[in-house]
Amino acid sequence: MKLTSEEQRQLKDRVLPLLDDLHRLAYHLCHDENDTEDLVAETIKKACEKFRTLRDHGKIKPWLFRILRNTFVSLCRERKKYATIKYQEDNENEDERFSLFAEVSQPFLLWWGNPERELVNKLLEEDIKQALSEIQPEFRFVVVLCDVEGLSYREISNILDIPIGTVRSRIARGRSMLQRKLYDHAVEKGLIRKRDRHYEKI
Amino acid sequence: MKKSNHKNISCEEALKRVFDYIDDHIQNTSRDEFEYHIELCRHCFDRVEFEKLLKSRLQALRYKRSSEWLRERVEDIIAEF
Repeated sequence: MKLTSEEQRQLKDRVLPLLDDLHRLAYHLCHDENDTEDLVAETIKKACEKFRTLRDHGKIKPWLFRILRNTFVSLCRERKKYATIKYQEDNENEDERFSLFAEVSQPFLLWWGNPERELVNKLLEEDIKQALSEIQPEFRFVVVLCDVEGLSYREISNILDIPIGTVRSRIARGRSMLQRKLYDHAVEKGLIRKRDRHYEKI
Repeated sequence: MKKSNHKNISCEEALKRVFDYIDDHIQNTSRDEFEYHIELCRHCFDRVEFEKLLKSRLQALRYKRSSEWLRERVEDIIAEF
């Protein structure tokens, strides 16, 4: 059913200020500018179709984020371009318990140096984006919502419709995956030397 | 230093709370115990500072902006409905 001109105005007034947020979230999922804009456009189409079901207009941001995430999942299935979103909450492996801090820190240096902080400062923005793009989409999504967008566990829980405990565990695993990618990248670029030690449990 | 009537939790217990702490998802006694621990434990303090720094690098990715073309495309989509 077509929106009235008043509804179109309301939707436009609420969506346009959030366009940068939607674009950024879509970009971190797609990592391709064309696909990012297509994902945002498709999200807006679905938002138009469902706008009358949105009871509280003050909650339009998490509502749009949820639509964007669901649209991304559908596009993954259709295009088979991105990794299929598939995960098991209790199927942890070593990569998902990895700590960059445990790998790089040198406690014996005490007050005279912080190699782990020096490493993070040496990383370029592109290094971080690249590492983020390489972790599984469902974990990347929660890391982006929490660390880039600054949403609380409760807000993420509402967007994904999952319990807060699940949000917490996905954030922990997503960060571990990210840190593993950053570590591999730092070794590859010669920023650090690979150490032979066991991974630290979070 | 905070009052020492807080339980000094172990490093293992502190590590479990690091992400909750940097995400501001830890409250009351649990937060006090954690803060008391990192005042006493250099290793856990460094871990917290490291995780905060990494989080701040991710927060810095927030500047990315959408294009004017996308804005026009979205306005067109809404106008069509």
